[in-house]
Amino acid sequence: MVRFIKIILFFLSIACFFSQPALAKTKILTHVKVIHASTGPRYVDPGLKKIIPELKSVFKYTSYRLLKDQRLDQHFHQKDRVNLPGKRTLIIMPSDMEGKRIRYQITIKKNKRSVFQTRVLLKNNSSITIGGPQFNDGVLLFNISGSAK
Amino acid sequence: MKKTCSRYRSEDISRFVDNELSQARYHELAKHLRDCPDCRSLVEKYKNLTVMFNDHAGHTGLKIDPAALKQNLVITTQSSPKKILGNIYLKLASIAAILIISLFWFQGGMFRSTGPSAIVTSVDTDFSSVMIIETQKKKHTIIWFSET
Repeated sequence: MVRFIKIILFFLSIACFFSQPALAKTKILTHVKVIHASTGPRYVDPGLKKIIPELKSVFKYTSYRLLKDQRLDQHFHQKDRVNLPGKRTLIIMPSDMEGKRIRYQITIKKNKRSVFQTRVLLKNNSSITIGGPQFNDGVLLFNISGSAK
Repeated sequence: MKKTCSRYRSEDISRFVDNELSQARYHELAKHLRDCPDCRSLVEKYKNLTVMFNDHAGHTGLKIDPAALKQNLVITTQSSPKKILGNIYLKLASIAAILIISLFWFQGGMFRSTGPSAIVTSVDTDFSSVMIIETQKKKHTIIWFSET
């Protein structure tokens, strides 16, 4: 019995050792999806299947098209830009982690002027959607997901 | 040893019954038995005991069958590895379960918080219309702002 407990403790210590890097993540994979939502003919982009049920539960739009799909490999305090339709730019920067959430600073600029700025604590491996800007008889939605590596 | 009478001990009586005394002593005790009822009674007891012992010693139920014993031993030996393997599998399964639970625990895969996908700590915009929505099913956070 003592031997068995020793074996369990040994494996537990190995598990703790390998899981240690998971607690000290320094790289963030940010995924930005730019979506055009409108009341046009029913359409859902295949790349949006996961998020669409959530959006449909809130919005009345019938068409969801993926305009841009950009992955950003970021370090903390690294600012990255994503060009958006209508002379807009999305600036995104992960600053640190608070528990299992990534702290992001997100800015949307239009004609080089900041029109929207927010700070969020995004759950690791989860996403947030920011929307509202008018574009081509519809609206733009920005789905931002982040995962710490 | 208990004495039967002042002359002979029970040990002497026992040896008399088993015919282990010298001839002279045997005749002497036999002569004594005619006059001593205590010793006579003890002789009877020992004789009965000897008869009972001989009867039971010859009983087949008490005999050990070497063939049956050998067969039992073979069966036990053959079933032992399975039991040992079973124990090893049980231990390995326990270790695997502990490992999986530990990894899930450290990776945060288990017991995830049920809060919103994002907590909005600040919003700064020139436009007055800003809404923060949380979907019912997956608690997905949506920030809605109007540029108009």
